[in-house]
Amino acid sequence: MQGPLIDTLARRGVTRRTFLKYCATLASMMALPPTAGRAMAEAMAAARRPSVIWLPFQECTGCTESITRSHSPTIEGMIFDMISLDYQETLMAAAGHQAEEARQNAMKDNAGKYLLIVDGSIPLGHDGAYSCIGGRSNVDMLKEAAAGAAAVIAVGSCASFGGIPKANPNPTGAVSVSDLVKDKPIVNIPGCPPIPVVMTGVLAHYLTFGSLPELDDKGRPKSFYGNTIHDRCYRRPFYDQGKFAKTFDDEGARQGWCLFELGCKGPVTHNACATVKWNGGTSWPVESGHGCLGCSEPDFWDGGSFYKALSAPADPLKFAAAAAVVGAGAGVAVSVANRVKKNTAKATHETTTLADLEK
Amino acid sequence: MSASLEKGIHALKEVIDAPIASYFESCVHCGLCAEACLFYTETGDPKYTPIHKLEPLRRVYEQEYTLLGRLKKVVGLSKPVTDAELDQWQELVYDSCTMCGRCSLVCPVGNDIVYMVRKFREGMAVSGHVPDGIRSATKRTVELGGPMGLKWPAVANVLKHVEENTGLKIPVDQAGADYLVLLSSMEIVNYPEYIEALAKIFHKAGISFTLASDAYEATNAGIQIGSSDLAKVIVSRIVDAAEKLKVKNVLSPECGHAYMAIRWEGPNLVGRPFGFNVVHVLELLDELRLKGVLKMKDKLKDPLILHDPCQIVRRGGVLQAPEPLIQQVAENYIPIADKQKLNWCCGGGGGASAIHTEEAEALRAKAFKIKKRQIEEAGVDTMVTFCANCRITIEEGFDHYEMNTKLLGLTELLAEHLED
Repeated sequence: MQGPLIDTLARRGVTRRTFLKYCATLASMMALPPTAGRAMAEAMAAARRPSVIWLPFQECTGCTESITRSHSPTIEGMIFDMISLDYQETLMAAAGHQAEEARQNAMKDNAGKYLLIVDGSIPLGHDGAYSCIGGRSNVDMLKEAAAGAAAVIAVGSCASFGGIPKANPNPTGAVSVSDLVKDKPIVNIPGCPPIPVVMTGVLAHYLTFGSLPELDDKGRPKSFYGNTIHDRCYRRPFYDQGKFAKTFDDEGARQGWCLFELGCKGPVTHNACATVKWNGGTSWPVESGHGCLGCSEPDFWDGGSFYKALSAPADPLKFAAAAAVVGAGAGVAVSVANRVKKNTAKATHETTTLADLEK
Repeated sequence: MSASLEKGIHALKEVIDAPIASYFESCVHCGLCAEACLFYTETGDPKYTPIHKLEPLRRVYEQEYTLLGRLKKVVGLSKPVTDAELDQWQELVYDSCTMCGRCSLVCPVGNDIVYMVRKFREGMAVSGHVPDGIRSATKRTVELGGPMGLKWPAVANVLKHVEENTGLKIPVDQAGADYLVLLSSMEIVNYPEYIEALAKIFHKAGISFTLASDAYEATNAGIQIGSSDLAKVIVSRIVDAAEKLKVKNVLSPECGHAYMAIRWEGPNLVGRPFGFNVVHVLELLDELRLKGVLKMKDKLKDPLILHDPCQIVRRGGVLQAPEPLIQQVAENYIPIADKQKLNWCCGGGGGASAIHTEEAEALRAKAFKIKKRQIEEAGVDTMVTFCANCRITIEEGFDHYEMNTKLLGLTELLAEHLED
């Protein structure tokens, strides 16, 4: 893949106009000023391809699938052409010692400059023996690769927060990237899997501005994880009106009402699904009729049933009767007291005469 | 000589009722009532915000009737209402409140602020915090029969002149008449033309009427000062006379608060429904207009605007009569923006015009700027109204600002142009 990205794209039938539009969309999604779209396009079109090392650890390859296995080639996929992906087990042709050599070379040649992408959590149990590549444990490889990286991008909930491997009882002692790497900038792109455009957004930002986008307290890009699913959900008006689907096949479900009572975790899940959607903007979980699982939040697997409403009390009416009685009793007591006071005042009324008008 | 703070607080405890409790609880502190009050708009002083004028009443409510208020009182967070405070509030609740009800009208949560002012005055009256002017008017009304100290012989004298001027008989104490005509002292003293106009119209319409020698005064200073006991004494005179004479209707004069007192407060004060109807003179005139009795021989050409008295229109509910009546007699009636129930008060209602301290008069003059502006914006030299108290206040305003505007009474204007 030689020459600037724009030429590569042109060869694949992507016009400059389409590319510019894409960059403008990307910029606006990341809440950058409109001029940033042009800057992005220029920077990316002519980008010197940075070296990227992608380390897959204790994972299911879903994150890689999400980004690479679309129905048709997407611009997201092609963006990969602007980086020099020097090591990616799933995608690379090399195998065995050749592959390990490629990684070593990339680390040596681009020391301090390469981007390290990690998907999957890192098991620490039994000295990391649960997940080894080429005879080396994941924790070992991560420490080595992170030492020379400019920044680490943790792709997927496993790399970001430990994900499903870390779920109770966490048999492998899985941890996240940020649990181990403390001295490098880390971007978490959680999600199971994460949205492809978030990934490309972060890469585009890095290529354009030479820095990482603004992050929230959990290390996630604010532009994509700033709002909850619930904040941006197209079913939100039904929530506000108190219209809820009670089962998956009732009238409410057919009418497309809010899935809160069916366990939707949208209100506590920060992600961009509701605005960006999936599969090229085709649909997303809530649109297909199922509540959000909250997959991009830490420990989502241990948050109780996916079908249990977030804040419904176990038995809402347990104390209602007692509370009503106490409330009514207090109300009656206060009103009787007030009535007595007012009636006393009335009963002791002295008819006002002219003399009463003067001091 | 027995007014005291204790009596005042006692009275407030007595008057605080469910509406007042709900009004205080539902106030959202939006401040819209300030913009509706001419004393605020013309001075810009936030102390004239209508709801603020009720602060002592609010505290008594809170301290006596709410749990939190009682608690606050115990730990000293809510200070008890003092004599000095009520003294300070006297200006806010009398001088700068005409009970015009514009604040009640605009309140977005529907709080009737005037209702509360009226009740608050009950406590002010018996704690001795009332302006001398209103106190002496009340005394004269209770002791002599009217706020200006007029006695029947003086009234009879005026009626004699009316008979001479019109050549029509003015019946007195005639049982079974259609209408018992009430007057306000101001009409008797300052605008006897009103009585002439009435006599002419009644004659034309063939309606029988009478005056009562023991109940000619329609105004009720007891309501203005805020004493239901005294107001009851005053209104009972009319009720007794009307029922003694067995009249079908009692005709309230143009005077605004007189109508309020007899029509709306009256039955509540005596505690039973009346055996007669209370009709405002404009309601009667509009009825006659619709019957075709009120034909005009000619019309007034001057461009003019109407001043709708608050207690008759906004508070009294005589909303539809004034405009058709003025159009009946005036060719160039100009409707102003804030008319009918939105009209601005003259600044002298609710007893304010009886307060003659320097500060109160200066404040009234300031508040009058809004009427002055309305006249100037309409570009007219004539204003018509239908309330004797408004007329006095407006004429004072004209004098203060040296304006050459003519002020006419609607009933007289109609009688003047009535077909012979």
